[in-house]
Amino acid sequence: MDTTNPTEPVETETIVHTLGKTIIQMEAITKRFGELVALDTVSLEVQRGEVLMIIGPSGSGKSTLLRCINYMEVPTSGRVTVDGIDMSRRRVNINKVREEVGMVFQRFELFPHLTVLENVTLAQRIVRKRKSGDAGEVAHDLLRKVGIPEKANNYPAQLSGGQQQRVAIARALAMQPKIMLFDEPTSALDPEMIKEVLDVMLELAREGMTMVVVSHEMGFARAAANRVVFMDQGRIVEMGEPDQVFDQPQHERTQLFLSKILH
Amino acid sequence: MASESERQGGGRLTHGVGLPLRRMPYWFIIILIFFLVTFYTIFSSEDYRDTLSFIAEGLVFTILITVIGYAIALVVGLVIGLGRVSRNPVIYTLATLYVEVFRGVPMLVIIYYARFVIVPWVATDLLNQPQILRNDLLIGAIPLALGYAAYMAEIYRAGIESVERGQNEAARSLGMSHVQTMRYIVLPQAIRRILPPMGNEFIAMLKDSSLLSAIGVPELTYWGRNRIAATYNTFLGWNTVAFLYLILSLILSLGVKWIERRSGSGHH
Ligand SMILES: Nc1ncnc2c1ncn2[C@@H]1O[C@H](COP(=O)(O)OP(=O)(O)OP(=O)(O)O)[C@@H](O)[C@H]1O
Ligand SMILES: [Mg+2]
Repeated sequence: MDTTNPTEPVETETIVHTLGKTIIQMEAITKRFGELVALDTVSLEVQRGEVLMIIGPSGSGKSTLLRCINYMEVPTSGRVTVDGIDMSRRRVNINKVREEVGMVFQRFELFPHLTVLENVTLAQRIVRKRKSGDAGEVAHDLLRKVGIPEKANNYPAQLSGGQQQRVAIARALAMQPKIMLFDEPTSALDPEMIKEVLDVMLELAREGMTMVVVSHEMGFARAAANRVVFMDQGRIVEMGEPDQVFDQPQHERTQLFLSKILH
Repeated sequence: MASESERQGGGRLTHGVGLPLRRMPYWFIIILIFFLVTFYTIFSSEDYRDTLSFIAEGLVFTILITVIGYAIALVVGLVIGLGRVSRNPVIYTLATLYVEVFRGVPMLVIIYYARFVIVPWVATDLLNQPQILRNDLLIGAIPLALGYAAYMAEIYRAGIESVERGQNEAARSLGMSHVQTMRYIVLPQAIRRILPPMGNEFIAMLKDSSLLSAIGVPELTYWGRNRIAATYNTFLGWNTVAFLYLILSLILSLGVKWIERRSGSGHH
């Protein structure tokens, strides 16, 4: 099976993942939207330092699974534990947990009325209660890291899609999260901008960030992920190392799906 | 959107010569001529000048009442508008009740009701400060504020709902609370979008303030009526009153158009 991808990052060395204790634990998560069952008793564990990719057809529940991790979606039943905190407990401050879990969206969702710098400093100041100077320093460092230090005083509308997404990543990183969630971070981008975003993500993976990524970027998966999860109809159908899932898929539905996205 | 095609249409008609004919603000020119004629009449006529100076005090009062009433309505409207998007059923129901009641009653009736029922009750029975009843500024501003808070709450609600859900999610995913998200993310964007309709509410309130003459609040219309009662010159009196309202609302609507153009011309 040919799995070369035009957007494959140049770095070919695969990342060595040093895994730690379980940081995300999802136990028998079911999510219903009315009659529709978006997630059907899904269980999943993520170790510290893991880069987990979630693939699957449209409507299979990938986003819903991702959004259950930081309780953007509240599971109908089941238990989510993040960094030792059981999210379903009534007294848990969800906002506190979210400070530790960054999220990157398909459509960037930068705050259009704020400059790039303000986008990256706002939550630091009002949630982390950092002084404006400290927050600014963190922001400038991160903007340099994602490769757009010169755009700090521009508004999001003045940036290209790839630049906006990199700012969105910087905005999430500014909270110094323990986990980063990515929901199709490159699928709203023009092809020539995909690489610049993947490179930033690759760098993060190399630094040992725990990442859960919904994306069909095979190149990235092979280079950065240590595990790939294939979902279909609200269930996890198959799970394994990238090369194993991509090259020797065990399930017919996985094979069918892969053959569709590769051709 | 419509103005875009209009602009293109106008451009084609005039073949790029000077001002596009179809876009000439004829209404404005007509009003300008009316203004000039009226100005001329006023300053060449002793009677008009007397009338004008007689009702000038009412004009000031009208502006004061509108500014105060509008300021109150901005705040009360925001609170009720937030209630209208609240997920708390009690808050939502109370806010909706307010909006439906005040939108369902004519302004004049709200004015009577406030003057003869609510304000006397609050002022004398609750606060024990009957002198409030003699404060014409408050007596005038309160009913306008109560009524317009309902209209403005709906504008706030529409503005808040127009901010994409993703914005809310992005903010919440950073650990911002619901209140912080409203304060820093949703409201600033919503307010930018509702500036033009909010400006129009100011103009509408200014005009509705003339209804206050019915309960003897000494604003522009009230003074105009008194003047006419004294001079028997109906034509001259109402002419002056109408002229003053018109000047005020036209200036304000030019202001609103300016805001509209600024907020419409892309983000920053
Ligand atoms: N807020 C919602 N209300 C109702 N149904 C929803 C909601 N969110 C998701 N769903 C439904 O749940 C199912 C799973 O959706 P989800 O967004 O998780 O799929 P996905 O795998 O991310 O798909 P895609 O690749 O298109 O993003 C779909 O059938 C979707 O229509
Ligand atoms: Mg999705």
